[in-house]
Amino acid sequence: MTAVQAWLTRRGQGFAQWMHAWGRVFSFTGVAVVGALSPSTYNKATRLVVQKQIYFTAWQILPGFALFSAVFSVLIIEIVGRNASAYGLYAYALELIVRVLVLEMLPLVTALFVALRTGAAINTEVALMQIQNELGALERAGIDPFRLELLPRVVGGTISVLALTAVNIVVALVLARIMIIDLNPWSLPPGEFARVIGKVLELPAIGVLWVKTLAFGLAVTVIPISEGLNTPKKLFYAPIAVLRGMVRLFFALMVIEFLALTALYV
Amino acid sequence: MADTAEKAAGNKRVVMLAGNVERLACIEQYPQAAMVSDDLPLRANLSVLENITVVLQFRTNSYIGEANDVAWDLLKLVDSTDCAQRRDPELSTEERFIAKLLRAVVLTPPIILIDRPALLLPDTHYPFFLNRTLLALAGKFEQCLILDYAWNAPLYSSRA
Repeated sequence: MTAVQAWLTRRGQGFAQWMHAWGRVFSFTGVAVVGALSPSTYNKATRLVVQKQIYFTAWQILPGFALFSAVFSVLIIEIVGRNASAYGLYAYALELIVRVLVLEMLPLVTALFVALRTGAAINTEVALMQIQNELGALERAGIDPFRLELLPRVVGGTISVLALTAVNIVVALVLARIMIIDLNPWSLPPGEFARVIGKVLELPAIGVLWVKTLAFGLAVTVIPISEGLNTPKKLFYAPIAVLRGMVRLFFALMVIEFLALTALYV
Repeated sequence: MADTAEKAAGNKRVVMLAGNVERLACIEQYPQAAMVSDDLPLRANLSVLENITVVLQFRTNSYIGEANDVAWDLLKLVDSTDCAQRRDPELSTEERFIAKLLRAVVLTPPIILIDRPALLLPDTHYPFFLNRTLLALAGKFEQCLILDYAWNAPLYSSRA
């Protein structure tokens, strides 16, 4: 009985800590959104950090990531096109491609890539800044660390996710047009491309797409920062903080995707 | 600070402390002082120049070029321009101290607190080093308080 009680207590404490951590994430998200929308947050120093964040998160990887996205898109377009053709449903291939690739896969792949590359880096950096008291040193020097170090990462990271997703969508649409219509001109009537795009990307779908991408952008920056800030001031907690941040981030991305799918299709 | 002895010379004052309690009390007494301390590290992923510049740029909303010029002039004053582009882990203890000191003086504060110089400069005869450095920065601050423990007092005597 005592063992069961102890196990239940441990589970309960774990759940309470889990809930508390999510509470911190939502609380930081609220503060970050308000801060990001407040003009008084920005000065020349904070704008410079935002620019650097966009440069490192989006601009630096743009050619390579656009190339990856193009190869990935070609693969998906080819698979969907061939299978649709085999079942005599080639007329629906374009719509399926736009739904699968543009609305679902590319935003998620972009968010996962930025999460692995930038989210992990932000999580580690903020955790180390917290452990080594660099944030305290900035505060003592009269600098608000939230305005200089944390918020610009949220703003820059979110803009980067939105921008990379937009670029990937354009690349995918161009490739879809080339592969489905231009390379197979007999399969679809003229004007079909614009009609299908218009049908799939109607206003609610576009709204859900960009709200989802915005949520992805916020998640890949806010969760690592929140987890990093909560790191106890001991060096050996740094890997634990990154691990927790990354798991929480993966979970959040999946929940956002699930909610977006539910909003669009259920 | 009953157990505190003080040695003054010009705008530099050495506060000799009996222990950590007095040190903390002394720091609390000057909450607005620009501080140089082992507890207040540099931003590890910024260079020395950027560590100095960012304080000026954030506090005065100045352009990066202007702030860089001010930081560079300060580095020239203390003859440390060669470490300007290096980051914290690549610095010697003297260079790290200089970076922290310049970060503190860049806004020409009225008071600078140098906390436990023995901890900041473990391999240096620091009273001499502090004298020389603070002399080079004369006019960049009104008063400098050096918080050191009483057992290091002999180091400050002229024969040490």
